[in-house]
Amino acid sequence: MKHLIQPLPSSFIPLPSSFIPRPSSLVPRPSSLVLLPFTLLLVANTLFSQEVLQWRGADRRGMYQETGLLQVWPEGGPELLWEFTEAGNGYSSPLITDDRIYITGEIDTVTYLFALEKSGELIYQVPVGKEWTINYPGSRSTPILVDDLIYLTTGMGTVACLEAKDGKVRWSLNMMSDLHAPGITFGYAEGLLVDGNTVFCTPGNADTNVVALNRFTGKIQWIGKGLGEHTAYCSPLLIRLPARNIMVTFTAHALLGIDTKDGSLLWSHKQDFEGDVHVNTPWFEDGFIYYITGDGNGSVKLKLSDDGTTITEVWRNKSCDNTMGGFIKLGNDIYTASYEKRKWYVQDATTGDNVDSVKFDKGITVFADNMLYLYNERGQLGLFKPNGPSMEMVSSFKITRGTKAYYAHPVICDGIMYVRHGNSLMAYNVKK
Amino acid sequence: MKKAFLIIGSFFLVLNLVQAQDLTLDEIMSKHYQASEMEKLQQVNTVIMTGLRVQQDLMPLKIIRKRPNLFLMEFDVADLTAYQAYDGEVGWSTAPWTGNAAPQQMSESATMGMKYQSNFDGILYQWKENGHQLELEGIDTVETKLAYKVRLIRADSIVQYYFIDSQDFLLKKQVSYRKFRGEEIAIENYYRDYRNVDGIPFAFVVETQYPGRTVSMEFDTIELNLPVEDDFFGMPSY
Repeated sequence: MKHLIQPLPSSFIPLPSSFIPRPSSLVPRPSSLVLLPFTLLLVANTLFSQEVLQWRGADRRGMYQETGLLQVWPEGGPELLWEFTEAGNGYSSPLITDDRIYITGEIDTVTYLFALEKSGELIYQVPVGKEWTINYPGSRSTPILVDDLIYLTTGMGTVACLEAKDGKVRWSLNMMSDLHAPGITFGYAEGLLVDGNTVFCTPGNADTNVVALNRFTGKIQWIGKGLGEHTAYCSPLLIRLPARNIMVTFTAHALLGIDTKDGSLLWSHKQDFEGDVHVNTPWFEDGFIYYITGDGNGSVKLKLSDDGTTITEVWRNKSCDNTMGGFIKLGNDIYTASYEKRKWYVQDATTGDNVDSVKFDKGITVFADNMLYLYNERGQLGLFKPNGPSMEMVSSFKITRGTKAYYAHPVICDGIMYVRHGNSLMAYNVKK
Repeated sequence: MKKAFLIIGSFFLVLNLVQAQDLTLDEIMSKHYQASEMEKLQQVNTVIMTGLRVQQDLMPLKIIRKRPNLFLMEFDVADLTAYQAYDGEVGWSTAPWTGNAAPQQMSESATMGMKYQSNFDGILYQWKENGHQLELEGIDTVETKLAYKVRLIRADSIVQYYFIDSQDFLLKKQVSYRKFRGEEIAIENYYRDYRNVDGIPFAFVVETQYPGRTVSMEFDTIELNLPVEDDFFGMPSY
């Protein structure tokens, strides 16, 4: 689980320096009154310490903290360890724990959560709700696992909390019937965000734009109005600042910064073009927010104020757009596919300029062990070496198994690359 | 130096033009049949072409043809699988993105179009026997190459243009016309990336251009003479 774990930092409830343990011989035996606050803080810290598996791993960046991976693939690709062919239609990615794999899929208009052994055998499959089948039929949202609970949304707006152990539904609601969410063109696709005891969803109604729910009960904690625009398929980013935590997500024509405490809209960054599909999770690093979206809106760098209440645009590059393949930032280099130009770009993170490009059509970018994994919509998986402001293809192979479009983001964990293609989940051995 | 290249280039272009204009329609068509290996094609009973339909999305595509005029195209739009087919008499299609996945019989005019499109040897082969008219319009260019422009008047009076490369005599472009919102628009098909399959040249890329849009069919594999039953092409009953 270590590769995808995103524990809250231990400094979340800071321990005063007076609680640094000292050798017992040097300190007097504390009275029970002195021990009490210490105990309370320890309990509080335990309550807030979470293990989180989610869309594109830690911070939703698509960077997997792996070592010892193949730096070159054999002809025809890495060894296929196993294939699970009953995952149903879907574009969602798997979650990998120490002993299990979770993935969603659509069968006969119903969304199922599947739990698999690490060897690919089915443990259980449970229905969750209705799935989107009007276009691009299949599950969209990658679940999020927090400790022993799984949260996910279906394309038809069901938000559900399930027990990971057996798939039992602890609570569920429907964004359309319960939160007045309007219908959207491609179905609800948000990878839900969890912070502490709260799970956030984006129904996208004018009055119920962003909603915070108690993650144990499903009860509404607050309702944020955002800009009143419909949801934009984005899996939000959580930014933790000393002053506040911020949920950063898109609605139809703007990036929003929402205070996770009360749902207030801190700031927004408007889009220039008509496109309303903004799937990619933004990236936060050293006080700057980076995002890339499609339909001519391109890539953007914003400066976030220290208290998180304001943003300032640093640059915008409309020549490099990316609808749903994500991006990777390594140092000062941003690697991403341009969906319009059908090639991968390297962007300078300081200036926003495109400094190099590689023809590999368009698609998804993830990263592990100093290598970029590019997965294009032709089903070709390429292993690329990032080389400063450029990149070179080392190996590639084509995914020939599975069904439908090549939209699911690969996941790399414990030396195995998991690739979902429609009804198939494949496990490739990428360990040296 | 640049001037010299221009003069030499112009000389060969003019020479090419003169040579190209020397040929009669029958000579051009004869060379076209030869280049297309029509004799070998007569030994082929089925063709299965598998690849991608490239527009904004890249979606799976499969075209299955069988002698004499059976045709089925399986293609995905928004990851929903649809069909267009002709079983020798009936043209039918599905459009699941409308919410109705049931097959629908095509209109009479659309069926006529499918009938000609489904001709296994192509509409230019045995055009006289099939009641079409063919006229040589002259020399034109397809992108950077010279091509013979041939006007086809189909037996049902529909007019189309075919552009046959003046060097290798393969089909490089086809233009047809369609009414769209009250206006007649040109639909241009470009045939690219010819590769031999069992000694017969096939275009592995067919790019269709019409106002504001480009759609390509890019084939990974083209397989000949695999067994396909006739009833495979029939309209399913639900």
